[in-house]
Amino acid sequence: MDKEKEQKKKRGGIFGGFREFIYGMAAHDTARFALKTRGSMEHLFILVTMGDMLGIPILPPYYSLRLLPYVVPQIATWKRRMLREKDFTDTLA
Amino acid sequence: MNSIVVPVIGALVYIIGLRFYAFWVDRKVIGADGKRATPARMFADGVDFMPTSRNILFGYQFKSIAGAAPVLGPIIAIKWGWLPVFLWILLGTLFIGWVQDYTSAMVSVRNDGKTFGGISFTLISPRARTILLIFIYLYLLLIAAAFANTVATALAHAPRIPLAIVMLAVAGVVVGFLIYHGRVHLALVTVIGLILFYVALVINGHFSIVFGTPGTNRLVWLLFSLVFAFFGSILPIWIFVQPINYLSFYIILIGMIGAVLGIVIGRPVMQQPAFTSFTVGSLPLWPMLFVTVACGAISGWHGIVSSTGTSRQLENELDARPVAAGAMFLEMMLALIALVIVGVTTPGAQASWDQLFGSGLGNLFHFIGMPARWGEIYGPVMIVVLAITILHLVVRFMRIATNELLGKALPIVRLPVVGTTVAVFLAFVLAWTGTFNYIWVLFGSANQLMASLALLIGSVWLVSENKKAGFAIVPMIFMYLTTMAALVLTSKQLLYQAVSRTDLLGKPLTSAKIAGNWISGIIGLVLFGAAVVLAYDGVKALIGHARQSHGLEKG
Amino acid sequence: MNLREILAANPKMKYIMFGGKGGLGKTTFSAAAGYYLAKQGHRVLVFSVDPQASLSDIFQRDIFGKGAVEVMENLWAQEIDADKRIHEFQDEVRRRILERYGLERVPEEIESYISAAASEPAMEESAIFDAVVDIVFQGNYDYYVYDLVPLGHALYYLSMSSIYDQWINKVTELRAEMQRYTRVIQRMRSREESEEDEILGELQEIRQRINLASSIFTDREKTGFFFVMTPEEMTILDTLKAQELFTKFGVPVGGFVVNRVIPDSLLAESVPDYLKNRIRSQKEPLAKIEELFGKRIVARVQEFERDITGLEMIARVSEQLFQGG
Repeated sequence: MDKEKEQKKKRGGIFGGFREFIYGMAAHDTARFALKTRGSMEHLFILVTMGDMLGIPILPPYYSLRLLPYVVPQIATWKRRMLREKDFTDTLA
Repeated sequence: MNSIVVPVIGALVYIIGLRFYAFWVDRKVIGADGKRATPARMFADGVDFMPTSRNILFGYQFKSIAGAAPVLGPIIAIKWGWLPVFLWILLGTLFIGWVQDYTSAMVSVRNDGKTFGGISFTLISPRARTILLIFIYLYLLLIAAAFANTVATALAHAPRIPLAIVMLAVAGVVVGFLIYHGRVHLALVTVIGLILFYVALVINGHFSIVFGTPGTNRLVWLLFSLVFAFFGSILPIWIFVQPINYLSFYIILIGMIGAVLGIVIGRPVMQQPAFTSFTVGSLPLWPMLFVTVACGAISGWHGIVSSTGTSRQLENELDARPVAAGAMFLEMMLALIALVIVGVTTPGAQASWDQLFGSGLGNLFHFIGMPARWGEIYGPVMIVVLAITILHLVVRFMRIATNELLGKALPIVRLPVVGTTVAVFLAFVLAWTGTFNYIWVLFGSANQLMASLALLIGSVWLVSENKKAGFAIVPMIFMYLTTMAALVLTSKQLLYQAVSRTDLLGKPLTSAKIAGNWISGIIGLVLFGAAVVLAYDGVKALIGHARQSHGLEKG
Repeated sequence: MNLREILAANPKMKYIMFGGKGGLGKTTFSAAAGYYLAKQGHRVLVFSVDPQASLSDIFQRDIFGKGAVEVMENLWAQEIDADKRIHEFQDEVRRRILERYGLERVPEEIESYISAAASEPAMEESAIFDAVVDIVFQGNYDYYVYDLVPLGHALYYLSMSSIYDQWINKVTELRAEMQRYTRVIQRMRSREESEEDEILGELQEIRQRINLASSIFTDREKTGFFFVMTPEEMTILDTLKAQELFTKFGVPVGGFVVNRVIPDSLLAESVPDYLKNRIRSQKEPLAKIEELFGKRIVARVQEFERDITGLEMIARVSEQLFQGG
């Protein structure tokens, strides 16, 4: 995957870099907000479906298991995020 | 002197600073390591941590740090003459500005992506976090008051732009709605939004919108700007704040391209005096110029952006330099362009800074074949747009900070409407009763002081890691002394006037102004006090860490 | 109306359930109803989720966990083995994870979750629920006769189905909202490719199944729900209580079946005294049943001289079940 990315970058060259720069200024913030929102919804989803992993049973386990295969990669990050200490300055910027 | 010299020298400093000095610090002092996993990679959770490519981040960082202040600072500071402003922008950026932005990013990167609150808690002292929070709240309040004031002043002076600003909000909502619910391509959405804005600007350009007496109806526009910010804080971010800021980017970009082309094609001569006097009004060049120029040379805001948004997105440690330091040098260029815009205006004209900027932009627009009048209208538009886009974000942050400070004791402030009302009300009181120049100086002081606190956090970390810290400690001390001096001086003048009930010329003050002087003066002192405690704890931690690593070496 | 008339008057009634406390004869009636309908030429499935698995006894064949077994022409019987189902299900989940991510083995954290989930009490209930939905969903039969486990469980299913439904609705909304954000991200990056949310698809399928299940439970036209009781004080009280609960959950009660009625005529014959005593002691409860349920009694079935096992006995019960009333 990384190699693919690398190649893409090379193909883009200076023009590609400039496009990314403009995108970074104009649109990255909005895209990132959408990503963040979707990401936290994903975590909410895991909480509601796999909550008993953290000791919060919400959904009947039968359906949790049915959905489990789709969220395997997100589970580790979700746990880490749930357990991480949050600070006020996190919310700035 | 020909104005083209300013950006040319700036470009030289840009290249030398980024290529050599920053490179040396990055590789030799910090030891950035491209193989080391960054927090964005280690903790990639798709929410707070997400690896992002260097070019995108460069754009993101630049956009986040380039608000109204780098443009306004040089314009307001031109009263000392353009040369000291020019020198401070160059030297400040080269020796202090990028150091702070870059170090803040690296401190966070090397501390698992923790932000200032968490870092100061572990590296300095538990109470440092609380004091930092209070400090940041007042800092945000000063930004809000300063920029609400900016919007109000500019709109009161420019009756040919309010319709466009109102339309910006409308277009923002339209664009937000189209992005989220429409099926139209982004390019088309953008064009629709911009057309709405520019059509309103052209229409308004043909007739004036005036409430009350032109020039003195600041109250109307002050309330307008705060209502704008109020909506920005309580409405979902995607329908108001973000699309407005998205459109604003293009509006500013278009103006900036015009200005740059004007400078390059017209190569006008700097008309303003190179130097006026060491004391202008009641404000001595040191420390006042250093805080007035604000973000163009160094700004605490940048450290916050670096250590929260950017540090959690860097996909490679080696990107920190081009992103964080690079964006600061680019911001320096922005400040220099602002300096040229105002530098090419005719001196002695009885105009306020917003009008100066407009006439400067008009001069430059003239060189690229556009009527100067367009620039005179577009200049204030840029100032208002830049200020208002920061203003509604800051009020949003204040709402969150209010919740953080009082949420436990007073649950009602957790309601967005309540938290926002508190923030907007405080900003209004300060902006309405305070004096713009003083508020600007207080804002600049808080801003630069925030920067020196960021440098303090950075220095403590460097020492605790047993790295060379001089490149951060020396600017930290300089900024600390400068801003503390500015705070004392400003608060002293403010409180003196409040007690004597007269201004510096001995004219009696209205009771609103007296109240404003009390409030601003006290805010200055509280900031001062908070900074003293933070510095005390910081230096203690610094010495502690130094002893520890010294002992380790010996042992 | 008796049971036969009810079925004739409601041609859409495909699901027949007998409920009541354990040991009252629900399984017997399920088998008898299945027998009757099969004899009429309909394809019928009688199924049970009761772990005590008495369908095997009645049909005198081991059908536990063997899927639908044809016990006579047009009549199939099935007993669900919840444990087995759970194990198969777990294996399926593991297989899907391995396949999806090309893994050699399931990550430890995930594996421990999968195994822990199986031991939760709610797991069995929900696995059974899903199995029932599965059977109904496939729609292979004209009639489904469902031998409910004792009342508490029946209500648990019912309440679960409405909670599941609400839950799935909420989660589906969440996923749909997430998809909107995905589109925004793509739009901001000027990439307009549509990416199916597999989870959304999965949820919609789950929801469809649950909706079907709960609609069956609560549809008066499709479902005949019959309480079984015996002429005893206690069961009458229980039945009253249960009826109230079912009404609360919106389950229409089709009628009541009285079981183990010992014919009065026996009093005149030479039978042991204890039997005579029992007949006498049934009098009062029977009167009470008539008073309370009256016309809603769809069948009165007598006590038989021996256990109901084998098709022959089932035929006898079915006769009473469908002719009486």
